[in-house]
Amino acid sequence: MKTQIHSSEREFAQIKRKLEPTYGGCYRFSILLLALVWAGNLFAADVAADFSTANRLYADGKFSDAANAYGKILQTGGQSPALLFNDANAEFKSGNLGKAIAAYRRAGLLAPRDSEIRANLDFVRNQVQGPTVRESRWQEWLGQLTLNQWTLMAAGAFWLLFLLLAARQIRPTLGPKLKSVTTMLVTLTILSGAVLGLQAENHFSSQIAVVISAGATARSGPFDEAQSAFTAHDGAELSVLDRHDDWIQVADGSGKIGWLPVKQVEILPGA
Amino acid sequence: MLDRFCRIVILVFAAGFLITSGWAASFTASLDRDSIALGEQATLSLKFDGVQPQDAPGIPNIPGLQFQYVGPSSSFSFINGQTSSSITYNYIVSPQHDGEFVIPGMRADVNGQQLASSPLKLIVSKVNAPSAAAVNAGDEVAFLKFEFPKNKIYAGEAEVGQLELYLRDDIQNFGNFQLTGTPTDGFSPGKIAELQSQRRRVQVGNRVYTVIPLAVPLTAVRTGSLVLGPFTASVVVVLPSQNDGGDPFFRQFFNQGQQKQVTLATDPVSVESLPLPEKNKPANFTGAIGNFTMTATAGPTNVTVGDPITVRVQISGSGSLDAITLPPQDAWRDFKTYPPTTKLNTSDQFGFQGTKTFEQIISPQNADVYELPALTFSFFNPEDGQYHTLTQPSMPLVVKAAGATPMPTIAANKNSAPENQTPQDILPIKDNLGKLATKSSPLVAQPVFLVAQAVPVLAFVAAFVWRRRTDSLANNPRLRRQRAVTALIASGMDDLKKYAAANQPDEFFATLFRLLQEQLGERLDCPASAITENVIDEHPVLRGAPAATLQTLRELFQLCNQARYAPVRGTGELNSVAAQFEKTIPGFQEMKA
Repeated sequence: MKTQIHSSEREFAQIKRKLEPTYGGCYRFSILLLALVWAGNLFAADVAADFSTANRLYADGKFSDAANAYGKILQTGGQSPALLFNDANAEFKSGNLGKAIAAYRRAGLLAPRDSEIRANLDFVRNQVQGPTVRESRWQEWLGQLTLNQWTLMAAGAFWLLFLLLAARQIRPTLGPKLKSVTTMLVTLTILSGAVLGLQAENHFSSQIAVVISAGATARSGPFDEAQSAFTAHDGAELSVLDRHDDWIQVADGSGKIGWLPVKQVEILPGA
Repeated sequence: MLDRFCRIVILVFAAGFLITSGWAASFTASLDRDSIALGEQATLSLKFDGVQPQDAPGIPNIPGLQFQYVGPSSSFSFINGQTSSSITYNYIVSPQHDGEFVIPGMRADVNGQQLASSPLKLIVSKVNAPSAAAVNAGDEVAFLKFEFPKNKIYAGEAEVGQLELYLRDDIQNFGNFQLTGTPTDGFSPGKIAELQSQRRRVQVGNRVYTVIPLAVPLTAVRTGSLVLGPFTASVVVVLPSQNDGGDPFFRQFFNQGQQKQVTLATDPVSVESLPLPEKNKPANFTGAIGNFTMTATAGPTNVTVGDPITVRVQISGSGSLDAITLPPQDAWRDFKTYPPTTKLNTSDQFGFQGTKTFEQIISPQNADVYELPALTFSFFNPEDGQYHTLTQPSMPLVVKAAGATPMPTIAANKNSAPENQTPQDILPIKDNLGKLATKSSPLVAQPVFLVAQAVPVLAFVAAFVWRRRTDSLANNPRLRRQRAVTALIASGMDDLKKYAAANQPDEFFATLFRLLQEQLGERLDCPASAITENVIDEHPVLRGAPAATLQTLRELFQLCNQARYAPVRGTGELNSVAAQFEKTIPGFQEMKA
């Protein structure tokens, strides 16, 4: 890793020397831009090295250490489907079903059509005891694309439609020729807009709590002395209904409702 | 006196101790019966009196006899002040064949004492199938029959023989049926199963018997004269008690019956096992015997050199499905082949009927391959004694040159989850980090993105407005002329200034006159050529115009007319006229047309 850093520093200095006499006024801006790119590359190189180290720990069977290593990379703010997938694998191998499911779900939000993520998520879900909330069929269908992908699809249809309408204003003779295309784009815009609305509603309004501690006791009220409502096992996925201070109200797959401390769950967006 | 008393007491205690402890520890071996029939079992008891070994003694290995340890039993007695204790280790003895067996004397070392037992003799008599006369007379409580459907069989051919247990109708119950001998030399036996659905009652002689059939799947593995049986078995039956005492009415309800162990045997069955004929034996015959059909599919059929093609061959029918192998296909020389996987789905309980599926991966080695050659499979049908060859026609393939594409590996991707198979573990981690992204809010929640969506709407609105104005202009000739004249005036003013600067009075006034005509013509909605100075006084529209404007118009027309006669004028005067015209234009344009 040190070699890579030195190499990057040398390259940066060389480019700096070249730019300085040539571009005069633009020099400072170029240097700033270059510094940002260089810093980005350095960060990426560091992350890649840390990722490899974590992978080696996993390969050596040190799953808890690997999970910690993946977690540290995630704490830097960067994330990728592979990183979350590996983190989930390490958590699962460490016996943390809930953390594994949460990480698989996060990976799935970034790469919803990744069959490996789906396979491992299903496998881990099968290990979870007790009732759990599962996506409905339409939610699964919506989940084939990320919210951003749905957004881009709807926006693309919207742009195409209005640009087509503008073109028809400029060249009215195109009107009859583009009638079917226009109809299709209108339909596509409406449909993709509706789907986007559903997915956005799912993303912003509904949340899923994944239990990350063994045998979390859901209580009838948001305080420790409240009666036990039900027990949620590690890895159970619950619908979030409400929040009060450090407690969330959840419902399990069988319709039971209770309050859980936030520290016992990991809260994820619904889509 | 005291010494004498003490001596007596000591002697009494010593005598008691000697009596109670048993003077002589003993080890005795005994059989419950000295003579049994083949298929029956005897019980061997090893009894230790006065001592207790820590473990059950070992039994010497005696060919033809099997010993099964049952467990110990112990006894303790106190009779007339005498105590005795013993422990007995019990073994079930099962003979494997008839004959005379000697169980040698055994030795046991118990607490340092060397104990020995006497040798025992066990006579095992051969069991013969009952005679037909005995069977017909109804004398046999139970008997066993074996039937094999063929007396000639080909080596490798599979058939199902049938053992039938006949139980006389007066048997109240039966149990503990055990096949004690299943000699099938030259055959490979399968799992014997009861054919429950084929239980029946038959009349044999003057008695009715219940028949319990058992299927014995057999595959001939050797040629020559083979003998099946005699199969031997034992069964415990419950017969009505012979005690005739008591009231007959109550006896029918409370007769518990008496148990009887019956030894059974079948007559041996001779079978001639024939070798497969060498005549007309196909070259690719691999030993499949039975009657089969074949189907084959291959896919994908549009591939690149080196790509895997899965050839699925299904062989269905009856016969020794286990023994079927996919013959090597010589015509596949242009393909790299991998060992096939097999799956057997049987439709009967013996595995003699069903479908065997082979899945073989092959990959074309060059782009000249245009078909998957015909696939052949040969088998020997014992029913007609002939070899048969099934041929699956060739299948067309499209094989493209590989180019720079690397050869694919046939082995499954380490990260791929096999379909229709329950995974045993999670898929392994990914080696490639992929593109890192920072956490950010979704696009749909980003203001910049939302504002950007106004762009196409604005473009459309702009186009719409432009269209409306264009259409409006197209439908209004006066407006169109007005705009054209406005443009003409604008360019004409430049010309006027240019001519004035160049001191070109003729061109200047000609241009000025034309501009006046165009402007007035547009305002008065008449051709420009029809405009003269007289129009100022005659046209009704101009009558309502401001007097100053009309006066300026007159002056400009007069200047134009005068210029024809007195053309020489200075640049300054021309500029002055141009300025006057320019100043008057707004007044013209404001006139109501």
